[in-house]
This record gives sequence, structure tokens and C-alpha cells, in this order.
Amino acid sequence: MTKKDAKAMLGPIELEVIVGAVRSAELEIEAAVERTARSPMIRDQHDYRVALFDAKGRKLTGRSYSALVEPVFEYFGADDIHEGDVFFWNDPYNSAGGIGHVPDLCTTIPIFHEGRLIGFSQVFGHHDDVGGSVPGSLPVHATDMWSEGLVVPPIKLYERGVLNKAAYTIIGRNSRLADHLEGDVDAEIGAARLGSARVVAMAERYGADVLEAAFDAIVENCAETLRRELLPKIADGVYHWEDYIENDGVDPPRLHALRLTMTKTPEKITLDFTGTDPETKGPINWPIDYAEGRFVRKWMAPVLRSLADSPERAAEIDMNEGVLDVIDVVFPGKGTLVTPTFGRPTGMRFFILLRALGVFAACLSKATGGRMPADHETIRIWGLHGRAESGDFYLFREVLGGGGPGRPWADGSDVVHIVPNSRNLPAEFSETRYPIRIERLGLNRDSGGAGYRRGGLGYDKRIRVLEDSTLLSNADRAMLNTYGVNGGEPGAPYAISVTGPEGDERQVAGMADGIEAKAGSVVRIATTGGGGWGDALRREPATVCRDVESGLVSAAAARERYGVVVTREGADWRVDDAATLSLRAEMAARRGPLPLFDRGPYFEDRKAEGAIAWPDGWSDPDAGWLAQSEGAARDAAE
Amino acid sequence: MGLRIAIDTGGTFTDVVAIDEADGSRYALKTPSTPADPSVGLLDGVRKAAEAASAEQDALACLLHGSTTATNAVLQHQFDGLGLIVTEGFRHVIEIARQSVPDGYGNSFFWVKPPRLVPLHLVREVKGRMTHRGEELEALDEQRLVEAVGALAERGVVCVAVCFLHAYANDAHERRAGALIARHYPDLFVSLSSVVLPEYREYERAMTTLIDVLVKPYCQTYLRSAASRIGAGEGGAPFLIMQSNGGVVRHATAGERPVTMLLSGPAAGVLGAVHMARLAGFEDVLTLDVGGTSTDISLVEGLKPQLTSQSLVEHYPVKTPMLDIATVGAGGGSLAWVDDYGALKVGPESAGADPGPICYGRGGTRPTVTDAALVLGRLPDRLIGGGLTLDAAAAREGFVRLGKRFDLSPEETAAGVFEIAAANQVHGIRQVTTSRGREPGRYVLAAFGGAGGMFAAEVADFLAIGRILSPPDPGNLSAFGLHVSDIKRDYVRTLVRQQAGADAGEIDGAWRELEEIGRAEVMAEGVTATRIELRRSADVRYVGEGHEVPVEIPPGVAGADAVAAMWSSFHRVHADAFGFDYEGRQDVEVVNLRVQVIGRVERPAAHELPGGDGPAAPVAERPVYWRDTGWVACPVYRREALSPGNRLDGPLIVEEYGSTVVVPAAWRIACDRYGNLVMEKVR
Repeated sequence: MTKKDAKAMLGPIELEVIVGAVRSAELEIEAAVERTARSPMIRDQHDYRVALFDAKGRKLTGRSYSALVEPVFEYFGADDIHEGDVFFWNDPYNSAGGIGHVPDLCTTIPIFHEGRLIGFSQVFGHHDDVGGSVPGSLPVHATDMWSEGLVVPPIKLYERGVLNKAAYTIIGRNSRLADHLEGDVDAEIGAARLGSARVVAMAERYGADVLEAAFDAIVENCAETLRRELLPKIADGVYHWEDYIENDGVDPPRLHALRLTMTKTPEKITLDFTGTDPETKGPINWPIDYAEGRFVRKWMAPVLRSLADSPERAAEIDMNEGVLDVIDVVFPGKGTLVTPTFGRPTGMRFFILLRALGVFAACLSKATGGRMPADHETIRIWGLHGRAESGDFYLFREVLGGGGPGRPWADGSDVVHIVPNSRNLPAEFSETRYPIRIERLGLNRDSGGAGYRRGGLGYDKRIRVLEDSTLLSNADRAMLNTYGVNGGEPGAPYAISVTGPEGDERQVAGMADGIEAKAGSVVRIATTGGGGWGDALRREPATVCRDVESGLVSAAAARERYGVVVTREGADWRVDDAATLSLRAEMAARRGPLPLFDRGPYFEDRKAEGAIAWPDGWSDPDAGWLAQSEGAARDAAE
Repeated sequence: MGLRIAIDTGGTFTDVVAIDEADGSRYALKTPSTPADPSVGLLDGVRKAAEAASAEQDALACLLHGSTTATNAVLQHQFDGLGLIVTEGFRHVIEIARQSVPDGYGNSFFWVKPPRLVPLHLVREVKGRMTHRGEELEALDEQRLVEAVGALAERGVVCVAVCFLHAYANDAHERRAGALIARHYPDLFVSLSSVVLPEYREYERAMTTLIDVLVKPYCQTYLRSAASRIGAGEGGAPFLIMQSNGGVVRHATAGERPVTMLLSGPAAGVLGAVHMARLAGFEDVLTLDVGGTSTDISLVEGLKPQLTSQSLVEHYPVKTPMLDIATVGAGGGSLAWVDDYGALKVGPESAGADPGPICYGRGGTRPTVTDAALVLGRLPDRLIGGGLTLDAAAAREGFVRLGKRFDLSPEETAAGVFEIAAANQVHGIRQVTTSRGREPGRYVLAAFGGAGGMFAAEVADFLAIGRILSPPDPGNLSAFGLHVSDIKRDYVRTLVRQQAGADAGEIDGAWRELEEIGRAEVMAEGVTATRIELRRSADVRYVGEGHEVPVEIPPGVAGADAVAAMWSSFHRVHADAFGFDYEGRQDVEVVNLRVQVIGRVERPAAHELPGGDGPAAPVAERPVYWRDTGWVACPVYRREALSPGNRLDGPLIVEEYGSTVVVPAAWRIACDRYGNLVMEKVR
């Protein structure tokens, strides 16, 4: 059958059933991973990704990003892909950019129907331990890739259904938790096979040609959705922006810049990372300059969903291989944060991975009259370890979210995490398991950036340590704020401190390990608030008053940041309308024009010191960009 | 002797099945639901059943009821007047929830946190702290508690939930708070977390308690007024309410902890299906209850419906034990439509009862799955018993219009709509099967509800299911299920203990305590001691895991043996659920101890059909459209004319009151002596 005939046979019914089956299969593969994997990072923090691809390696599933199939073609070629093969790798420098750090072991299986390759099914997860210099395989102070864990270039873990026992044994032996690692790998293979069975069932029902035509349509529909719904909202032009990582874990803290130039034409968006700062000694590098940047193009594209007509619509838009039709990428030469030379450490690449989304969103803000969400920071790890009374070693490790961004349609959501369905630990669980007492599990008042739409709040969590223990913190945005957009103010940075039994409080750096916390100490963790969106003086006074009544905003901040005067009568808070009106008029007269971006006081101080320098051909990306007028801001919001 | 009446209130219709205790005769009927005051529909049902049985109303022996009151109270989103009291330091517990953002990666950019059940200004903190071992760290600040409740009452709060940290380990502070509130503010509705759900995990316990107190006024008012109007309950015939766990309790008991009524409706259908599956000789069953707007799906193994404590009602977690039922928005009334990109979609929007499908002639203009079934000849143009004549021409016209968009004939379009609707149900079935490590092909599909028989074969084909059970009177199976349900109450206590160093006496003692409370409470339901069964189970996990698996203790095993059985069978249960175990390699930890107390109820005698006299004869023949073969003349049978032993090869149609069973060419049906149709795929 020719391709044209197959297209003719692909009716709306087959297409809709196949689209539904691909989506359902994605959920089933996820459920299988969660059900059968062993690492808490995978089972409870949901740190894994699954995907289905067509025979050309084009990604079909759309809820999540994924690694790539390209290493299979690159290492084995079309004539060395057989039924029963299981491809396997985690090498950040030999995975076509799809795998960013060594704890992410990736499993890929080819899908066959009647001897014909019809697709691939893939799972990768963040494993507890793949060896390297520290338990957990995320050494903060790593200076090369080998100290981070075992590196596996693309291999066949199974060849035509036969396990490569030597490789399997070596991989297991290199983990401190071999049982977990082997169990996880088996689970991932099983889950990928489940996905494969779903694709085969569709081929049996409708024929491989119809299936292939449906896959073409799925990819084309994604590109079409971007072109019809999202691209027209972005003004053509060239926009640039930059953001920073504070600390590489090795050198003294300094700002490491990720720089992006976005060129928008009617048909395309080009993302150019030229100007990005040099690679670092420590593990904040991100090797993505492979396979035409297909990984990073797919990683960045979902940011565009925030331009959909509504958040409900945004959640419906699948992002598959079709995004490559509208997004191109350009990399600088070797030796930068996004083009590191072979062997540089990459363990903490999640900071730059999030910064990349933030610089893209900021370029889009420039191109949409400030319509994009502000900034948020959502991944950081903190923990306590030590020996319990019983003498057993314990490690209490938590991934805590931060406040979501203010955006034209809503305040930022409080304490969100970018990884879907990642959960915090209940206080009652933590206290039962570890020698700690949670004295406060709350939202951090005033942490959300002020704005017409306020940033979401971060955590204010206080933990009393009941036995001597050691504190670790692995967080960015401990100095820099999350940026506000279109006149919105920045959100509060991350902070962690230890107050000793005698009441002496010590601030701890965002990237720290080995900090002593004596029995009776209280650890306080304040996670980032989200950046605000729009002019805070335009926020509805009644809404500000409700925030005060709810304890999310202090009465002082209501006055100083929002120009709203609230008074308390008995238990009720009320807006003093007259005082508010005059205070707002006075504040508006006193201030200058509002900037499009507000990066916060730490950044402004560094800038004033001259610590922010731009490379040749690059200029201050904030200069000259102002918030939209109040009317335009309101229109954008409505 | 009198009449046992079972009434299942649905969104549109109230289904009634009455059984005369004297001679076992059954009466099934439908009456319109009355959502504004559901007790009116309930009363109508009782009256009509009595009329049908020519019985006096005072002949009522027992009223069994599946109610949607609790669910509707949640779905209506009227949460004014709800307040929450928590331990100092935890005011934001429901704002923070579990910090998780649903669905896709990166949705945190645009996802908007839904409003919480209680706004923050109606959440108050009170000093007083227990440890996880139940020791008091700090006394309850009673004065502040009374002030806090007073402040809430001043703001119009009428329902108060109290959730203190570690109240599952020691409920003294909560009990004291309950007593103080009752003394100072006797008009408030109050729910205590240690009563509603004495399990650890403070967010989920708080939410379950809030849902309980939220539905309390609705449920208590409804149950009281219904009982008094019917003369059931106190002093009269027992008035039993179906709960989410698949058991019934007296109405006063249900009103005390109404969160257990949330799945009252769909649970009864599952029990009816289990009963018929038992008669048909099947143990492992997938239930498919297809209604007008949605389909409820559940898994039954060894004739036991699967329970879950992970349910969400809307996006609110409710952790009381419930039958594990997945719901998909695909039913007979689901609308077929075309999205902005030209894709053909079916559901989740439904035409509902008003205007309903095009063919009902009540003003519906958009084609539905029911219209598709009519166009394809799968439905008769006159619904038996319904007195409703369907407008086949109008339905066809709807599919002519829809088909033009795709250059497809109306019948091809209708068949496609049917296939898409079936595929949507298939995705839901996968949620409760493959996603739980179960292969659907090894189960019997029990299809019921008004539209179950229409979909069953189509759904089975997708899943490689070879056998289908179509129980008699499938439209009334939920109401029938009420007749075959036992009294059931669940008791739980969190007791976190690791196997190494655990005191078997302590664990057994905790179980025994739950059993004693449960036995007394179920006897108070009017059950004699000899009919009571106690079921122990526990939630167990490997130390270090974040979630538990339920381990059942065999009936009759008690004392240290029960504790030993819990530790030893855990590994097998874990392997069955997750595919691996660490037996001998990792320490095990019990988290919750559970007891289910069952008061066995006399089952109505199985209704057997008289033996048949020879092969069944079709009552008609009509053309039916199939996607692979086109129009084929198919015989039409009346279900009541089929006798035990009848075997018929598809394609054919079986019609009955309120339902139609579609048998494609590859399938064969056999009628058993209980009136079940068992469909088998023969090629």
C-alpha cells in the first residue's frame, strides 16, 4: 500500500481511536512505572518520564518531555534494530542531548508488527544511586562526570530478547543500592513493553499503514495547533534575555549567565543560546548541542502553552515531535554551560533546565506585551541525616516546591512543583519515621511577588530536630529573586537557617552540606515565592484585604507594596477606601515608569556594583523594556 | 411477612425493585427522580411498589436505599458555612495540600489551584499537641478553642471540622473539643477527624473530615425527613442506606458519618453484578455499568469487589474505604461533535435527559450515541416498556449532517461514533486493570445499566475479552443489588510498628479493640451475634516505602497467629500488586489496622426460570449495520422468551424492558436458568 492509500484509509474514526489509545498508553506506562519501580524518587516524587515514538523516532505522546531515540539510530543503525532488543544508556554526552545527568537511566525498546518496525517505547527515571562519590549520585562538589556515577553509553541490554548478563551485573554492582537499581530497570523495561503492546494492538486492529498515517497526523496536528493558536499571539521580531545560576558548587558563588536570543517570524521561532557563559568546574552544565538540538526544542516548547486562550485549553495542548516544525535552535561553540566539553559534571543541571524555561518565557513576555507568567522556581532538595537513637542511619530528604508565577489570568498557585504529581511528605508521616517534629507547615507570608496578580507563596516550614543531625541543602535562587513581569514585583528567594537550642540563628547557604544541627535546634526553610504579574497598585483593594485577612499578605505589605490601607475592626478587616485612594495616587506619582521585568534587590545591588557584565554584541536585556500601560495590562488580563 | 423495597435514586430516574417476602415475587419499576427534594421520589417509589404488589404501605418490611444526596452536596459546590479547626502551626494544611500539580510536566506555569473547601479566614489554629505515639506534649487550650469556634459561628459557619495533629493516635483533644463545641454551640454540625478517619496523613484526614461535615446537614435532613414520611426507621421497618464500601447501615448510622454515603449509587450495581456472577459461576469479573452520561467500571476478583482508599470526589481526596470504581464520561447520551481541528469526538458532554438524544424528539439537535445505535438498527424504534417512540429519521438526518464533514455515509459515521465511545470506555477499564497489573482478557465483562448490553461486545473486542455476562433486567441491577447487600462497617486505627521488635500482643490487642467496638455497633444495627463476621486486615509496607498494600487475615485467625499471618502474607500481596517483593531482605512495617464487621443479611431466593420448550423464536427481523459487513438482516429476540439452555449465534439483538443486548456475528449467547445471558466469542 502506498502512503497515499493509507492516508485515504485513515478516517476520523481510526484517528480518534488511535489518538485516544496513544494517550491512554502513556498513562498506563506511567502507572506501570509507579507500580513496579523501587526508588522513592521514581515512585513518590514521580521523577521519571515515558514516551512513545514512531518508527522514525518521532515523539507521539504529549503530556511530558522525554529523552530521544536518536542514539539507537546513531549507535546501531536501521539494520541492527530487532524485535526483543532493549537499548539502554545514561551518558549525558552520548545521548543526543536527551539525558542530562547520570542518575537518569534510559530504556528504549523497538516495537514490531509482523516483522516491521512501527515505533519505540521509552522510559527513563531518576534512580536512587548509580555510584559515584556520594550516596544518591548528586555530589554538589563534583568536578567531572565520573565522580557522579557509572556512565553507560548506548548499549543493548537485551539483544533479541536475550539479556546481556555481563552489562546488567556491572551496572548493578556500581550502585550502592543494587537491588533498587536492578528492580527499577526491570520495572522500566516492563512498563515500556506494556506501551509496546498497546501500539501493536492498534496495528492489528487497523493495519500498520493506517497506524503510520495516524502518527503523521498526530505530529502534524501538534504543529498546526502551535501555528494556529499560539504563534499568532507573538509579535515578530528579535528578543533577547538572560538569567543566572548563583553557584556551581565548586568555585566561589558568582552569577553564571544563560543567554537566549529569540527570533520570531510568522512561521517559526529560533532560539539562539549564543553569549551563554562558559562551562563551569562544578555540576551545573547541560550538554544539549546534539541532534540539531531536538531535545531542547521539545523541552522548551511547552512554555508556549501559557499563551493559550485559557489554562484549561493550555492543559489540553499536547506537545509532541510536531514542535520541531516551528522551533529551531542555535548553539554557541563548545565550552559553554549548554555546550560543555566531554566529561564536565552535570548533576545539578536542573537549575539551568528551569532557567532555560524562564528566559524563553521572558523573551515571549517582550513579544506579547507582557502577557506571559512571571518566574517560579520549583525544584530544590533539602534534608537531614544522622544516626537515630537506635543507631540506624537515616536520611530525610524532601523535594519542596515554591510559589507559582503570577499571570494575567490568576494569582500564582502556592507551593507548586513543576514535576506533575510530585508530593510532599505529610508531617504525621515524617514525625513517625524520623527524629523530628514539624512545628509549622505553612505558607510564607509576603513571599509571593506583589502584583495585579500576585505570585504564589512558598513554604515556611519549621522542623525541630530531636537528635543531633546533619543538614544538607541543594537550592538555587537563594540570593536572586524570582523575577516579576509587566510591573509585577519579584518573589522572595529561598532561605534556610538553623536556630540552636540557645536561640542563636545561623543562615545556611543554598548549596550546602555537612551543616551541624544539634538536638533541639529548629531548622527553618522558606522556599521561593513566585514573581508577581502586573502593577500591584491596580490589584483590587478587596482582594488585597482578603489576602491580609487570610494571613497571606501582611498589613504592612498591603500598604507598602499595594498601596492599600486596611484597618481591623474587631475580627474583621476592612479597606479604608479614602486612604487607599490617596496613598495609591501618591505612590504612583512618586515612582517612575514600571519595568517589564523586576529581578529584585540582590540583582540590582550586583548590577550597581558592576558585577553584571555582558559579552560583545550583547546588551542589557532589561534596558528600555517597560511594563504595558495599565489599560493594556488590563486588556491582556481580560 | 411483608415487602422489601429497594430504591436506587439516579439523576433522572429512581429505580425500584420490590420483593415480596411471602412468595419471593419481584416487582421492578421506574419513577422520575425529584432532585429538589429526593424524598418525594423515594416516597413515590415506595407507593408505586406497594401498588404493584397490591400490598398495604404498612406491609413494608424493609426499605433499602442507594442515594446520591451526599455526592450531589459535594458537586453543587455550595461550601458556605464550612469552618476548620487545626493544630497551631498547621493553618495552611489544606492550602498546601500535597503540593502536587496534576497532569503534564510544566503545568505549574498556567495551572490555577482550585479554591479550597474552606477559605483561610475560616481556618483557625488551637494550641495543644500530641506526639505520633499518642503522648500529650502540650495541653489543649480550651479557652482558645471556644473563642475560635465562636469567631467562626459569628461569620456564619454552621459546619465545623476538627482535625488535630496525631489525633488518630490519641483522640482526647478532639473529643474534648467536640464536647466543648456541643456545649457552647449546640446548633453547629461537627465532625472530628478521629471519628471520621483515624488514619495518619493530616491533609487527607482533614479533607475527608471536611467532606463529612459538609454533607452532614444535607444527609441528616434528608434521611430524617424520608424516614418520617415513610414511617421507616425508629419503631418502623428498618431503613437501610448503601455506603461506598458496598454494605448497608441503618439510616441514623449513615447520618452520623455521611462521608461513607458518597458512592451509595454505583456501589449497589457492583453488588448486584457480583450476585448474578456468582449464580452464573464466574469469580473474576469486570463490571461495566453504562448509563446516560457516564460509565462506571470496577474490578471484582474471587467475587470480591476491590476496595480503594485513594478515591477523589471532584479533586478532593476521600480516604474512607470505597469500592474501586472508575468513571468515564461516555454513555448513551454522550454527544458526537467535531473539534476546531476537524477531529471527531464523542463525549464527555452529554445530552442528558433534557433535551436528550435527537431521536427522543424533545428538541435535541446534536447526535448522541443513542441516536447512533438507532441509525445502526441496534436499538428498536420503540423502547419496550418506555412507551417512547423514537424518531429514527431525525436521528439519521443528524448523522447525514455529521458524516458530510468527513465524506462518510451516515451509517459509517454512526458506527464510528459507537466505536469511539467504546474506545473511551476501554481507556477507563485499563485504569482499573492494566494500571493495577491486571490483564482484562482474563475477566468476564458484566455489562448492565440501560446501555451496557449495547456496548459490551464492542468493548470486549478492544480488550480481547472472550466472555460477557448480561444479567436479567440490567437497567434495574443497582436497585436489585441493594437486596443482596450485607450490613458492613469499617474500623481503622493507625499503629505504625516495624516487624523487627513489634509486640504481637499490642497489635492483636488493637485489632481486638476495633472488633469489640464494631461488634457492639453492628449488633445495634439489629444483627444477631451469630450472623456477625469479623474481617481483619492491615495496611503494610516495606520500611522506606511511601505507600501501603492491604493484607487480609484469613477469617477465624486471631491472636499472635493473625499478626504472624500479616507479616508472612504481606510479601505475596506485595508481589501480586507490584510485581516484586523483598522477602527476607527488608524490614516490614504495619501502618493501619483495619476491621470490617459484616452482618450477614438473608439473600432473596435466586429466581429461577422455568425450563424452556425448545429453541427460541425471534419476534422480528431487522437490518443492522456492522462496520465490517455493512447491513445484515438480524433476528430480534425478546429476552423474556429465552429459556435456560437456549443457545443462539450472532448476529442478533435481544430486547427487553429498558435495555437492548447487541450480539455481533462472532459471538454466541446462552441463557442460564437464572436468566443470565452469557455471551462467548466463538471466532
